[in-house]
Amino acid sequence: MNSQTERVDTRPVNTRTGKPIGPISQPGYYPGFSTLAQQKFWDAKTREVVLDRVINVPEIRFFSQQEARLLEAICDRILPQDDRDESHKIPIVPQIDRRLYENSHDGYRYEDMPPDREAFQLGLRAVEEIAQHEYRLGFLEIGPREQDRILQSLHDGKPSAAHEIWKRMAVHRFWMLLVSDCADAYYSHPWAWDEIGFGGPAYPRAYMRLERGEAEPWESEEKRYQWKAPDSSVSGVFEPVAGQAEHLGSPGQGGTH
Amino acid sequence: MANNRLRGKPDEVLKPEVLSPGLERAPANTDLDIREGRFQRWLALISALSSALSGVEVAYEHYKGSYSRRVMYTPVILSGVLVAGGMSGFFSRRAARTILPAVSVLTLGDCAVGFYFHVRGIHRKPGGWRLPIVNMVMGPPVFAPLLFGVSAYLGLLASFLRRGEAAGSGILPLPAHPNHWAKFATGEHEPISWTQDVREGRFQKQMAIATAVSAFFSGFEAWYSHYKNNFRYKAQWTPVIIAPMLMAAGIAAVKSPRIARTWLPAISAVAIVDGAVGFGYHARGVLRRPGGLKKPFYNVIYGPPLFAPLLFAACGFLGVLASLLRREKRR
Amino acid sequence: MLGSIQRIETPMHRFSEAEEVDYVIVGVGAGGGVLLQRLARAGFRVIGFDAGPFWDTERDWVSDEKGAHNLYWNDMRITAGEHPLAFGANNSGKGVGGGTVHWASFTPRLHPSDFSIHSTDGVGVDWPIPYSDLKPYYELMELELPVSGPSYYPWGDPHGYPYGPHPMGGVGDALIRGCTNLGIGVSAGGPVAILSGSRANRPHCIYRGFCIQGCKVGAKASTLITHVPDAIENGAEIRPNCMVSRIHVGATRRVTGVSYFDSDGRACFQKAKAVIVAGYSIETPRLLLNSACPGFENGLANSSGCVGRYLMAQAGNVVLGRFEELVRMYKAPPAHALTEEFYETDPKRGFARGFAIQTVGPLPMSFAKQMMVAKGAWGWGLRSVMMDYNHWAAFGFLGEILPNADNRVQLAEEKDRLGIPIAKITFNLYDNDKKLIEFGKNKTMEVMWAAGAQEVVQEARYAHLVGAARMGDNPETSVVDQFGRTHDIANLFICDGSIMPTQGSANPGLTIMALAARAADYLIAEGEEIFKPRTRNIRKPPMRRDLSPPDTWGHGMPRI
Repeated sequence: MNSQTERVDTRPVNTRTGKPIGPISQPGYYPGFSTLAQQKFWDAKTREVVLDRVINVPEIRFFSQQEARLLEAICDRILPQDDRDESHKIPIVPQIDRRLYENSHDGYRYEDMPPDREAFQLGLRAVEEIAQHEYRLGFLEIGPREQDRILQSLHDGKPSAAHEIWKRMAVHRFWMLLVSDCADAYYSHPWAWDEIGFGGPAYPRAYMRLERGEAEPWESEEKRYQWKAPDSSVSGVFEPVAGQAEHLGSPGQGGTH
Repeated sequence: MANNRLRGKPDEVLKPEVLSPGLERAPANTDLDIREGRFQRWLALISALSSALSGVEVAYEHYKGSYSRRVMYTPVILSGVLVAGGMSGFFSRRAARTILPAVSVLTLGDCAVGFYFHVRGIHRKPGGWRLPIVNMVMGPPVFAPLLFGVSAYLGLLASFLRRGEAAGSGILPLPAHPNHWAKFATGEHEPISWTQDVREGRFQKQMAIATAVSAFFSGFEAWYSHYKNNFRYKAQWTPVIIAPMLMAAGIAAVKSPRIARTWLPAISAVAIVDGAVGFGYHARGVLRRPGGLKKPFYNVIYGPPLFAPLLFAACGFLGVLASLLRREKRR
Repeated sequence: MLGSIQRIETPMHRFSEAEEVDYVIVGVGAGGGVLLQRLARAGFRVIGFDAGPFWDTERDWVSDEKGAHNLYWNDMRITAGEHPLAFGANNSGKGVGGGTVHWASFTPRLHPSDFSIHSTDGVGVDWPIPYSDLKPYYELMELELPVSGPSYYPWGDPHGYPYGPHPMGGVGDALIRGCTNLGIGVSAGGPVAILSGSRANRPHCIYRGFCIQGCKVGAKASTLITHVPDAIENGAEIRPNCMVSRIHVGATRRVTGVSYFDSDGRACFQKAKAVIVAGYSIETPRLLLNSACPGFENGLANSSGCVGRYLMAQAGNVVLGRFEELVRMYKAPPAHALTEEFYETDPKRGFARGFAIQTVGPLPMSFAKQMMVAKGAWGWGLRSVMMDYNHWAAFGFLGEILPNADNRVQLAEEKDRLGIPIAKITFNLYDNDKKLIEFGKNKTMEVMWAAGAQEVVQEARYAHLVGAARMGDNPETSVVDQFGRTHDIANLFICDGSIMPTQGSANPGLTIMALAARAADYLIAEGEEIFKPRTRNIRKPPMRRDLSPPDTWGHGMPRI
C-alpha cells in the first residue's frame, strides 16, 4: 500500500480512554460470548451449514486477481474490520465472489440495473475511474479517507466521474447492492453474531426469556463501551442514502410480514 | 410418656381395648367428637379453598395451552366439583363421608393423569428431557398437577375424621401441651384422652409429610419460574430458600415431636408470610406489565402467576396445622 | 419424542405417464395445498405440481438466515415502474408449501368492508361475494391451521380464536406500550397460525424467532404439514421440482393438460380433465400469458385483458425504534401482536381505506439492510448501529394499496434457463396510496415514540402480492368468477392470491386458503359436471365440514 495508509490509523477509538480499539478477537459489547460454543445445541443440518461457512472460505473464481484486490479495498471501507485481529477478520470478498460465480441471486432485477455479475464489474471500473479522476491515482493507492469520500459520493448518489457507466446502472441501486452483499457476508458469520449479541441458530433449543431483553443463561449481558469511528473515516456519520425517498426496496431483502 | 398422660378427666376412657396399640378408633365420646369434628369441617373447607385457587390457576394456564387436548378440561371441572365437595363436607356430615372422599379420589386420579401428561409433554418438546431446564420452564409446569392433588388429598383426609355438632369452634384445633406456643393464639389448651393421641398422632405425621411434599412441589415450581426471570428481584430467592427448609422441617417432624412443635410451625409461619408478600409482588408485576390494567386478562395470564404464592402460603398453613396436632407416642 | 411432523403413513400414489387425471394443480402453496387435500379426500384423481422441492423439514431447512435462501423463488423476474417491487425473499416462495413455508403467519381475516370498497368509498372494485359467504371458510381454516389469538378480536367482524394467545417478545411489549399509551387497541398474541398448544405430531411453538426461515419445529402452519400429508394419504400425487411451462387447450376450447419440465429437465405432458392454476400473483399470469395459442392470442382466459393487471402489493414500511433497555427482538416469533385500529376508512384523514400495524422481528442480515436504508448506514456507522442490534424494535406497517390497471405482470423478452419467457412487473403508487402511506408511516412512528423509543427511523418497502387474475361477475373486467373458474375456459380455474380483487390491510394467507376451500366445495359439489363441456353453473355449494384434515376437530376451545 501507499505510505499514506501507513501513517493513518484506521481503527475506531474508545472515547473514554482516547485509545484506539484493536486489533482484538471480538469487538462489540458482548465480550466472551460465543454462538459457536453452543453448537451442540443446534440441529445437525444447521451445524453443518454454519460450520462450513466458518471453516471453508471459497477461493476467488469469478473476479480477476486485480478486481478482487480492488473489491477487497472497497469492502474494507464499507464493512471495516480494523478493530478485528487478522485471525478473526470475516471474509467478505470470497462470499461475493462465490455468489457471482454460481450466479445465484435474489430472484429479481431492477429494470435500470444490469445483471449482478455485470453490475459488479461495471461498478469496480467506475470506482477506479473516480479515483483516477479525483486523485490521478488508483483506488488502492489513495488513503482511507479518500477512499471513504469516493464511496460516500456513491452513497449520496453524486459520483464525480464514470458517468457512462452510471447511464447503464443506477448509482443508488449499485450502492445498495454493494452494501447489501457486504452486510450479508459479515452478518451471516457467527463471529458477527457474537459481536452484536445475536443468539444464533435456535433449534432444538430455543429461548425462555422473551421479554425485557433478558439474556438466556448461556448468553452474555451487555457491556457497553463508548467509541467512535476513526478520524480517517467519513462513514461514522449517518446521512440519508440516495433514493431513500422513493419507495426503494433494497436488494436481497427478506420478507418481514 | 409424661406429656401424654391423661389430664383432667381421670374417669375418661382407660379401658383395656383402648390402651392396646394400633387401635384405629376410640369409643364415642363428646370431647373426642367435638375435637375431631371441628377439624373435619375446617379441613374440608381448607380443601375447598385451595382447590378453588388451584382451579382458577389451571383454568387460565390451560387456556394458555389452548385446551389442545380435551383432557385439559378435567382439572378445571374437577376443581369446581372438589370445591363443591369440600363445601358440602363442611355443611353435612354425610356428604363429608360420601361425596367428599369420592370426589377427592377422583381428583387424585385426575392429578396423576395430569402429572403423566405434563411429564410426557416436556418429553415431546424439541430436545425433550435432554434440555431439561428450557423445557421445564417453557413446557407444562411439571408439578402443578400434583400440587392440585394436595388439595384433593386434604379432602380425602377430612373424610376420615369425625365431626361434632358443636358450633362456634375455632379454625384450629386447640393445642394439648400446656406450653405450646399456639396458646397465645387460642388462649387455652385442651386436655384430651390418650386415645385421641393415638388417632391424631398418625394424623400429625401425615400432615407433616403432606406439608413437606407440597412444599417440594411448590418450591420447585417457584425455583424454575423465578429462574426464567433470572431472579431479577432478590425477593424471588425467598420461596426457593424457604421451601427446602419447610420440607426438611416437615420430614424431621415425622421423627421428632420437638421439631414438630417448634421448627415446623416457625418455618411454616415464615412461608405463609412469604406467600402473602409474594402475592403482593405478583399482583404488582401483573399491573406493571405493558398495557397494565388496559389488558387485564392478557396480563393476568402472562404475568407472574397470581395464585402460585398463595398456594405456597397454603403449604405453610399445612405446616402450622401439622404442628398443632397431636402425635402418636411410640411405645 | 414426537413423531416427525412429516411422517406420512402411506406411500405416495403415482399416476402412470399416460393416465388422464381429473385435476392438475399448478403450485402447491396456500391455495394449491388446500385444494389438493380437499379434492383428494373427495375421491378425485389429482396431481399437484410444484416448481420447487418437497421439503424435508429436518434435512432441508436450517435455523440460519443466510441458509434459508433456497426457500424462495430465486429465478429471474424484471421489476420496473416508478416504485418497483422487490421479489424473491420478500414475497415469493418456491417449494411445496409455497409462501406458507416462509410467511410470518399473521392470519387475520379481511373485514366485511373490504368486499365492497367501491360501493362504500368509491375506490377500487367490489368483490362478487360478500364477507358472509367467506366467513364460514375463515372459521374452518382457523380450526384447520389452527390460528392462535385473543378470545375476542374486536376489528372487522369480531370473533375469537380456537387456540389461545402467545406470550410477548420485546417488540410486542413495545407495541402494547405504544398503543395503550395512545389509547389504541392492540391484539396481543395473535392472530397467528402458530400453535400455542401441541396438536397431534406438531409441538407447541418454542419461540425461536426463525419463522421466516421455515419452522423446523412444526408449530407454524404451512400447507406442507397441515394439508399435504392428508392429500397424499388420500391418493394425491405431488410432483416437485417440476416447472409447468404451458397449459394446453384443445379443439373444443377446453384445457387438455399441461406441459412441464420434470426434475431432470425433460419435457413432459400430463393429461387432465381440468387444470387449477395456483402459482401466486406472478407465476399464475405468467403461465396464462405463456400459454397463448391460436384462439387465445393474448394468453389464456384473457378476453378481458385483465390477466396480469390489477396486481397489488401492500405497503410494508418498517419503522424501527431504538430503546434504552435491551429488546433482543430475535427471540419470539416475528409475528406476535398487531393493531387494526386504523384499518377502516376515516374520511377525516383525506384518503380511502387504511392500514394495520404489526410486529416484525428482523434478524441481523435483514436488520443491516434496513439500517442501510433507514439510517443511511454504511462503514463504521453500520458497524456501530449493528452493535446496538439488541436495543432495536421494529414494527411493520401494512397499508392497503388500491388496484390499478397499470400495475401489472407482463412477459419480458428475456427467457429463463428452461426457455420460458420471464415475468416483468411494473408497479407505481398512486395518489391515494401515497397519502395513505404517508399518514400510516407517521402514525406507526408515533406509536414507536409512544412506546418509549429514543430514536425512530423508517424504511419503505412492500409486503405480499395479490391480484393479477381477479375475480368478478363481469367477464369483461375480470378473469375468473367467484369460484375461481375462468370466464373464458370452463375447465380452467385459478385459485390463489391472484384472484383477489382488493387486498385490505390484512395479510392475505388466510383469505387465500378460505377462498380455496370454498372453491373446493364448489368443485366437489359440481362433481362430474366440471368435466362436461356443456354446463357451467354458479350454484353456491353446501359447506363441507367432513373434508378437513384429521386432527382439525377435538382440539382447542369454543370461541366467539
